[in-house]
Amino acid sequence: MSKKESGAQWLLLTAVFVIATCGLIYELVAGTLASYLLGDSITQFSTIIGVYLFSMGIGSFLSKYFNQNLLAWFIRIELLVGLVGGFSSALLFIVFPLAASFRLILYAIVLITGVLVGLEIPLLMRILEKKVAFKELVSRVFTFDYIGALLASLIFPLLLVPHLGLIRTSLFFGILNVGVGWYLAHHFSKEIRQVVLLKTAAITLLLTQLVCFVFSESIMSYSETMTYDDNVVYSTSTPYQRIVITKNKHELRLFLNGNLQFSTADEYRYHEALVHPTFSSLDQPEQVLVLGGGDGLAVREILKYPSVKQVTLVDLDPAMTKLFSRQEMLVRLNDSSLLNSKVHVHNADAFTWLRSNKTLFAAIVVDFPDPSNFSIGKLYSTSFYQLLKRALRPDGIAVIQSTSPYVAPKSFWCVDTTLRSVGLHTIAYHNYVPSFGEWGYIMATPEEPHRWFSHLPAPLKFLNPTTLQQMLTFPEDMKAHQLLDINKLNNQALVKYFEEEWGKYLEH
Amino acid sequence: MRRRSFIQSIAGLTVVSSVIASCHRQRVIGGSVIGANFHTGHLLRDKKFAAPVSTTEHAVVIVGGGISGLSAARYLHRQGVRDIVILDLEKEMGGNAACGKNDISAYPWGAHYVPIPNNDLTEYTDFMRECGVITSDAAAPLPAYNDYYICFDPEERLYINGQWQEGLIPQFGVPASEKAQIQQFLDKMQAFRLAKGQDGKDAFTIPLDHSSKDPAFTQLDSLTMKQWLQQQGLTSPYLQWYVNYCTRDDYGTTYDEISAWVGIHYFASRKGKGSNAEHHDVLTWPEGNGWLAAHLKQELQPYFHNEALVARIQQENDTLAVDYFDVKESRLKRIIAQQCILAVPQFVAARILQDEARLQKVHQHIQYSPWMVANIRTKELKERSGPPLSWDNVIYNSPSLGYVEATHQEIRQGIHRRNLTYYLPLTAHTPAEGRKAALERTHAEWVKLIVEDLEKVHSNITDAIEEVNVMIWGHAMAKPLPGIAHGTIRQELAASVNDRLHFAHTDLAGNSIFEEAFYQGLSAAKKVMTHLSGNI
Repeated sequence: MSKKESGAQWLLLTAVFVIATCGLIYELVAGTLASYLLGDSITQFSTIIGVYLFSMGIGSFLSKYFNQNLLAWFIRIELLVGLVGGFSSALLFIVFPLAASFRLILYAIVLITGVLVGLEIPLLMRILEKKVAFKELVSRVFTFDYIGALLASLIFPLLLVPHLGLIRTSLFFGILNVGVGWYLAHHFSKEIRQVVLLKTAAITLLLTQLVCFVFSESIMSYSETMTYDDNVVYSTSTPYQRIVITKNKHELRLFLNGNLQFSTADEYRYHEALVHPTFSSLDQPEQVLVLGGGDGLAVREILKYPSVKQVTLVDLDPAMTKLFSRQEMLVRLNDSSLLNSKVHVHNADAFTWLRSNKTLFAAIVVDFPDPSNFSIGKLYSTSFYQLLKRALRPDGIAVIQSTSPYVAPKSFWCVDTTLRSVGLHTIAYHNYVPSFGEWGYIMATPEEPHRWFSHLPAPLKFLNPTTLQQMLTFPEDMKAHQLLDINKLNNQALVKYFEEEWGKYLEH
Repeated sequence: MRRRSFIQSIAGLTVVSSVIASCHRQRVIGGSVIGANFHTGHLLRDKKFAAPVSTTEHAVVIVGGGISGLSAARYLHRQGVRDIVILDLEKEMGGNAACGKNDISAYPWGAHYVPIPNNDLTEYTDFMRECGVITSDAAAPLPAYNDYYICFDPEERLYINGQWQEGLIPQFGVPASEKAQIQQFLDKMQAFRLAKGQDGKDAFTIPLDHSSKDPAFTQLDSLTMKQWLQQQGLTSPYLQWYVNYCTRDDYGTTYDEISAWVGIHYFASRKGKGSNAEHHDVLTWPEGNGWLAAHLKQELQPYFHNEALVARIQQENDTLAVDYFDVKESRLKRIIAQQCILAVPQFVAARILQDEARLQKVHQHIQYSPWMVANIRTKELKERSGPPLSWDNVIYNSPSLGYVEATHQEIRQGIHRRNLTYYLPLTAHTPAEGRKAALERTHAEWVKLIVEDLEKVHSNITDAIEEVNVMIWGHAMAKPLPGIAHGTIRQELAASVNDRLHFAHTDLAGNSIFEEAFYQGLSAAKKVMTHLSGNI
């Protein structure tokens, strides 16, 4: 074997090493991205690895149809892998909020990358077959292949994701891939026809990817992540809503249709205020109903009362309750409340469910989104509250999250007026939740209970007997100062107040 | 793989995908044209029937299972009459209150709401109480209406001058002078609503025949609504559009055709009041008036005989021989009846009775307006600015009446697919020409017409539509032309024949609304009761 031959051999083996690293990186990028965006990392990783390996099989199979100009083909494929793999995560991030069939695009990219990577090794072995003994060849090629894989699997979680992020990681390896292609073309330029074309293509690609690498931040901004201050760690579109979870160093935030539902930094303020005034005024509550609140955080507070025998949680969206009973971070947050044997989750429409309900509850916690449209407005109507009253024991209490009495006093007191119009007694109160601002709640009872706020469970992070009393006082700027309409299905007065008040507030 | 074949296959893919894309663009929207059974119906006009193959006997035969017929049958049933047969051409009883259902919701094929009933209509409000529409008992000072049936907010919107506005009375972009005329018009209607004649009766009420006969008002029956507007100096085009929209909406008749008295009746006859509803509120259900029809039908199932085309009725001694064509068996059968109610339009009644003189009169005086109703199953629609999707959605200056959204009364969240019921009264031609043109139109042509109309307000309608089904009502309702409400023709045609054969239909009432049909049935049934004898 001549020195030149040997040099060529080592060059090609280095290429194997780089290719193997790149190949695995693309696979890891796809898997991570899918778990980020779609959730359920086990399914995502296992299907992506499966599809990827299978596609490599297809690539290997197809390699027998390449009979001439093997080296040129190898370089072309190299460039293609660089192109597809390098841009894969940028493309997926951009496409995710736009495309209906995101999975299809994801798996298509995995498939194409897999097929191309699958073509590389067989082609390379055939290029080298006349230069190296078969025994040696197999040994060397696969050694480099597997070393590359090990390297990739180590640097990906330790170096690349934390420092480069997904978009730049895949671009970086795209650049490497294309770089190898270009160098091979350069090195073997005498053996390849139309080498200029190949080199030009390689350089164009290299430059494009470099530019993208530099401006990757702005690519991210095209994708939805820019709407949120922090990193989107999870997002999904269900038939009912768009669920997005963001994370920074200090807190996790949940958004439904772009509206903040809670931040882990201060959600205890909201959920303690939502649950405890009601429960501390009840005598040994047993049957409890939660409407909405699929995050399980209100349930977490409810389960602090040992007398509670059963919590029925009715939330429209199975994706929501599934997420909060499976995702580790979130399950930790709600103290596994949705997995508690006392808790029964029904994924049903609250209005429809309540209409057919026959059970009487000691407490009902109503945690719906704000009445920002006519559809949700129905859940704050006289018709709904009549059903609520019917589902309450005479000595029971319902509590309703009722938007901000500071931003939307008319809306807040309209809920109060509506509850009173169906013959319920009400007690309105509010507290300060930094993420939301001043927030309001209304307790409603068929009969006034004897002992308001008699026994708070310990320990709570926000509430104590003194704060409980303070929450009952409303300053002048949180009062309606006018007679308000009752919210009915056929006037939707609340939605109109809400639009007017929040509209004005958000204009600032 | 060779480079060339690789490129070829890529090229192949491109071709395939562009073909898919182009299919998508010109995709054929599914569905079909369903006529209110005109093929069978026309047998009555065109076929010579042989002798009947079987004979049965019944106390009462009701021909026509629309609201009039059902209301008559219900009254008779309540009076203890059990030997009743109701014959109807269609597969389902219900007439203009027909409805359908798919995986999204039920939807109407015809009439889709009733206004809050006038409080003096005792039998009608009793019926409303029975089906749970009124929840208070009869003694309550004001009836309480079931909140789930009062049309939810947002009720109506109008697309005008490039955006949606709330309500159907033109506001957005309407000049002040025209707004003043509109207000003038509404004030006049309010005055008519409160007016009483010299005879002490309400000038305009329901049933129409209970209205005052004071010539001060009835003379309005001799001119058209348009003429009356001109007389009043109400020339605003926006107002005229609105009035014309209303008369087309309720009667399939344009304002330059309709009697001014009936036109005003539309605005001035509603006086109902509930503890939680006003006269302008309406009651509605996903399936429209099919919901009310279902309640009427409830206890009448044993009497139904569907797909039965009544071919002729003849006097035989003291009885009536009712010959009907059983469509399923394709055979003519006879029922010998003591009493019969013809709850069908007069042009059909005249043919059944083989009464040439009656047919001439009907042709001379009564016109039946043809309608097209389409039910559109659609995915989420893109919206123009203004109020969101409402129950009734109307486009200013469209030949159609816009559409009604069938899931509007549903309380559940997350409704993304919908049924839109699109109404088009075919008023552009004479009724006969309109019918002919309508029956000749293909499904694709109807779809094109609908899509072009709705594209103005929903830019993605072509892609969003899943299916369109079209119903042609050849003779949907009698037009309330001048001279019908207060002329003599209705009386002449409504007179019972030999105290055995009675008539009940809204074409005899003067306008086609649910309450009129209900009372048409009731009064015919009361006539039957006075003449029935023996085993009933």
